[in-house]
Amino acid sequence: MISCRDLSVTLPAASGPVHILADVHLDVGEGEFVSVLGASGSGKTTLLRVLGGLQPATAGSVSCDGTPIDGPANGVVTVFQDYANSLLPWRSVRRNVALGIEQQLGKPERDARVDEALDMVGLLERADDYPAQLSGGMQQRVQIARALAMRPRVLLMDEPFGALDAMTKATLQDQLQGVHAATGATIVFVTHDIEEAVYLSDRVVVLSGRPANVGLTLDVALPRPRNQVSTKEDQEYLHLRHKVYEALGHDVGEQAHA
Amino acid sequence: MLSRVNVSGVAVFVLGLALWEVLVRTGLLTFTYLPAPTEVAVGLAEVVENGELPSALAHTVTAALAGWALAGLAGVAAGSLLGLVRRVWMYSMASLEALRALPIVAFVPVAVLLFGFSVQTEIIVAFYAALWPILLNTIAGMRTKDRLIETGRVLRLSRAAVLWKIRLPAATANIVVGLRLGLSTSLVLTLVAEMVGNPAGLGFLLVSKGQALQPGHMFAGVVVIGVTGIVLNAIVLGLARLVFRGQLTSAGEV
Repeated sequence: MISCRDLSVTLPAASGPVHILADVHLDVGEGEFVSVLGASGSGKTTLLRVLGGLQPATAGSVSCDGTPIDGPANGVVTVFQDYANSLLPWRSVRRNVALGIEQQLGKPERDARVDEALDMVGLLERADDYPAQLSGGMQQRVQIARALAMRPRVLLMDEPFGALDAMTKATLQDQLQGVHAATGATIVFVTHDIEEAVYLSDRVVVLSGRPANVGLTLDVALPRPRNQVSTKEDQEYLHLRHKVYEALGHDVGEQAHA
Repeated sequence: MLSRVNVSGVAVFVLGLALWEVLVRTGLLTFTYLPAPTEVAVGLAEVVENGELPSALAHTVTAALAGWALAGLAGVAAGSLLGLVRRVWMYSMASLEALRALPIVAFVPVAVLLFGFSVQTEIIVAFYAALWPILLNTIAGMRTKDRLIETGRVLRLSRAAVLWKIRLPAATANIVVGLRLGLSTSLVLTLVAEMVGNPAGLGFLLVSKGQALQPGHMFAGVVVIGVTGIVLNAIVLGLARLVFRGQLTSAGEV
């Protein structure tokens, strides 16, 4: 579905061009949940921005269903980490969620889609509030609902729960599981939280090196639906978590010595 | 409602008036032409009754509002263009900075020379005075946060939709600030134009009453000008809150 071939990204910086990604190969299948893990500054967000068509590749190719990506593609929606800057503060929750579909759809269908999306994230009763009246977790759910209202085939999520407290995070992780099961959307999920990546994903991809490349790919065969308590006590979960820590820890250790 | 009235503030104001009255009446304050507040009130009643004040007020407010409204249209349109199109900004920045640094009053005699002793002169001066704050605040407001623009791209909004649904609403609070500042400067400059240019309106009323040695009438004009400024500002703010409630609330303006 999504395919990166020899993807490289070089960005200009004050001290000259910085090579962020080099020769990245990544394939994401239909309906798959893939997490991209990596240390801070490892190029996770850049990779996601390239997939979302917000950042052009310097070399190599990126395509979705065989069509090269040269801008935000139809059916591919990015959810940003900073929900506070991504919502329109002057629009109510309902009108924020409608933003991407209000031009194409008539009122009845638009309302139905907005309700459906808000219901999926459990915010239907807050539809007429304004973002500033909601907690951080709720605001992020509004942003997710706005993406869902587009009926995306691919959701690209950039550390969506990174700014939230542990309890809210767990709730939203389980809600996202539900959304994944209900919509069958393909999800690429960037995070720096190892537990989160293993818990949610079908596959974990670790970016390492400078410029970054795919260091470790790990299939997560844990049964679904997953549970915050029992899944996280599962031997297989603990084993996978151990392997990811090892992969990342080794990387961090090397940098510390250098 | 009553709790919103600043009682101590009003009391100080009333005391100030009373003190003024006493000082003039007792002869402690000896200006030949300083009227007591009661004389100003009498003067106000006279100029209202003989129709001088209502017609002058109508003239001044019409001219100021006409110039201001034109400046609103031109300022928001030009400000959007300057804020959005980098090339336009690059080409016009030097001229804008030079013109902006010129005190607006310096433009009044020029306008009189070019457009004569007419109401057009007043409107053009009011327009020019209001244009600057509206233009500059619109330009500033158009510097939308990058993330909001990216949000528009992610949701595949057209360029027109990004402008109409994201950029302009994000700039609304700034534009309203510009409109309010522009309104007060356009009123001031209309009065100046009436004093040195077109012999009409409240500005001319002040000058002519001074020359006719009628301080009661003159001070009545001053009071009316002050109240007019407050009322116009309140109307604009009230309308803005009514129309753009969401945008202003989110900007912390309400």
